[in-house]
Amino acid sequence: MLVLAASDKGGTGRSVTSANLAYQRSLDGDDVCFLDFDFGSPTAAAVFDLPDGVHRAEGCGLHSYLQGRTGEPLRIDVWSRTEHPALRDRPAGSGRLVLLPGDRTGGEFLTTEENRHRLVDLVLRLQREFSFLFVDLSAGRSYAVDLLLTATSPHAGLGRLENRWLVFHRWTRQHVMAAAELAYGSQGLVHAGTAMGHQPDVLSGSIRFVRAAVPDLESPLWSQVSPAQYVWMRQCDQALEELAAGRGIGKARVLASIPLEPVLQWQERLITDEDVYDRGIARNETWQAMKDLAQRLTIDTFWGQW
Amino acid sequence: MSGLGTTSGPVLACGEVHTCLLPTSDAVDERAAEQLLRLRTDEPVRLSRHPSRYAVSPGLLTGVDCWMPSVTGTRSRAVGTVTARAAIVEGRVLQSSAYFSAPACGPDRRQSWGHYLVRPGCLIPVGRLPVRSVAEGFLAGPRQNELDIGPIAESLTARISRHRILDLSPPLTTADTSLRWTATPAAGGKETSVLFTKADDGLRTVELRLPHATTPAAAAGLCEDLALHDWLLTTVAYKLDGLQAGYEDSRLLKVLCSLVDHLLHLWMPLSRVDRTLHTAWEELDENSGYSRQWNALAQRIRDQLVLRAVRSRSELLTSD
Ligand SMILES: Nc1ncnc2c1ncn2[C@@H]1O[C@H](COP(=O)(O)OP(=O)(O)O)[C@@H](O)[C@H]1O
Ligand SMILES: [Mg+2]
Repeated sequence: MLVLAASDKGGTGRSVTSANLAYQRSLDGDDVCFLDFDFGSPTAAAVFDLPDGVHRAEGCGLHSYLQGRTGEPLRIDVWSRTEHPALRDRPAGSGRLVLLPGDRTGGEFLTTEENRHRLVDLVLRLQREFSFLFVDLSAGRSYAVDLLLTATSPHAGLGRLENRWLVFHRWTRQHVMAAAELAYGSQGLVHAGTAMGHQPDVLSGSIRFVRAAVPDLESPLWSQVSPAQYVWMRQCDQALEELAAGRGIGKARVLASIPLEPVLQWQERLITDEDVYDRGIARNETWQAMKDLAQRLTIDTFWGQW
Repeated sequence: MSGLGTTSGPVLACGEVHTCLLPTSDAVDERAAEQLLRLRTDEPVRLSRHPSRYAVSPGLLTGVDCWMPSVTGTRSRAVGTVTARAAIVEGRVLQSSAYFSAPACGPDRRQSWGHYLVRPGCLIPVGRLPVRSVAEGFLAGPRQNELDIGPIAESLTARISRHRILDLSPPLTTADTSLRWTATPAAGGKETSVLFTKADDGLRTVELRLPHATTPAAAAGLCEDLALHDWLLTTVAYKLDGLQAGYEDSRLLKVLCSLVDHLLHLWMPLSRVDRTLHTAWEELDENSGYSRQWNALAQRIRDQLVLRAVRSRSELLTSD
């Protein structure tokens, strides 16, 4: 399965959350590959705690591969290369976790036929080896988005692969509107995809939203606020919920809400069970939300068109 | 085609075999295999049913004019064509294979293409061929600007994988392997020898010394057979390795069943290898115990399944 992580803006939590999803699926025993297609700011290597990842990828990362400057993109085995202390011992029963880092070298990038063929061949190769391919796409209707959108249309090379889009956004007015625009706007995924040969209902049935860094007003984090603040925030939350529903990204289209997590506010990283249970630094709710979201990727009742 | 070490025949054959699971949920039938392998319209796909189902594409030629690989750094040029073919074993495993042979020397000057095309699958050196250096350089992996036939094989795999009749949801995840091989004629007295090495990134190398007059096609056939069985063993061993503790029963059962359904029946060494080359496999098997290991793994899988069946029955009985 191809999981395509998109967002209209930067800073939505797309990279960090999707890296955590990849990690969760591999803990469950799935063989997982993470492709960093955020060519503007390839951050996956940092999230997986692979400090030399960006440097090593120079000239042989995904960008170089698509442009034909290297025959095979660099692969980094996360379990064996990460410097995250809790990850170095690959847990029993876990699957593979491999990162294909992005590189920013080289200038312009066009979605030519040639790029698309190279992408298709790469994905077909990888999908023999991995049951999940997570693709972190640059923000907006970027060329990375267009490349994947064309390649996954029914008659293109990846049309037969099951693919699911996750649109990430923060829980603010601006972000809600931008996310809806990215999915359903006149320049959005569904419109653009339809022009590329996608069936609009099938495509929009394969798009779900992930709200990231959502403040949960009932959590202890907010227990110290004044009653006036609490009421005001409740109203905001309510208003956002209505705005989202009005734009077609209400609850039914949301795959998960990831709570605001102090650890992630301080550091872009994977949340491990050790962080939750042994060190007590991350919140159980965050860990659980990531786990649920990872599971829902393959629960069909969460997907499809109504 | 003339064989290795015969007068005016080749002194070296080199090739690369890519092996992978066909990216589809079920094994394909003979008709689908034929459709996938119809890479040329002027020549048919060859099919055989015994001792296992096997389909092989017609050969495709790729013209090359290039520097040969070398360990010593001596530059030698060769011109001609590389043969490539793809095969599907039991409708389940896809192998793409590219190879060429080369005589010890050729004309001192580059000739017109017509001269090279009369010997398909042959690379003719311009001048003398530094055989040892080329063979070693080939196995070590080509350097920049040197002949690399891996992409020729890989492009066949890619081409077939793009075919619309494949549903792209294989029953289990598996890693591809590449096997790079060289064959030279065995020195007088000794019949054959095989040197097999394994790196962890899925690359294997095989250095063969084969009986005089062995054809390059027969050598390639032997290497495809080695690659198939090495891939099977690697894949099944890896799957079982990952299954120790920590797996829930349902997941474990799924993996065991997919191994039984899709891979266990494929082990059949030498079924398509030229009789004169059987000793090569026998020597390798003797030294590395492949068959013994395979039998042990297969037995383990069956035992696990039996155990599980017994357990679930006794659970049923006690819950009654
Ligand atoms: N659930 C969360 N709670 C708090 N901060 C988060 C959360 N998810 C992500 N962040 C933080 O938000 C910032 C932007 O996230 P990132 O994944 O890099 O966004 P994007 O890839 O969309 O640009 C990072 O500093 C990240 O650690
Ligand atoms: Mg990012």
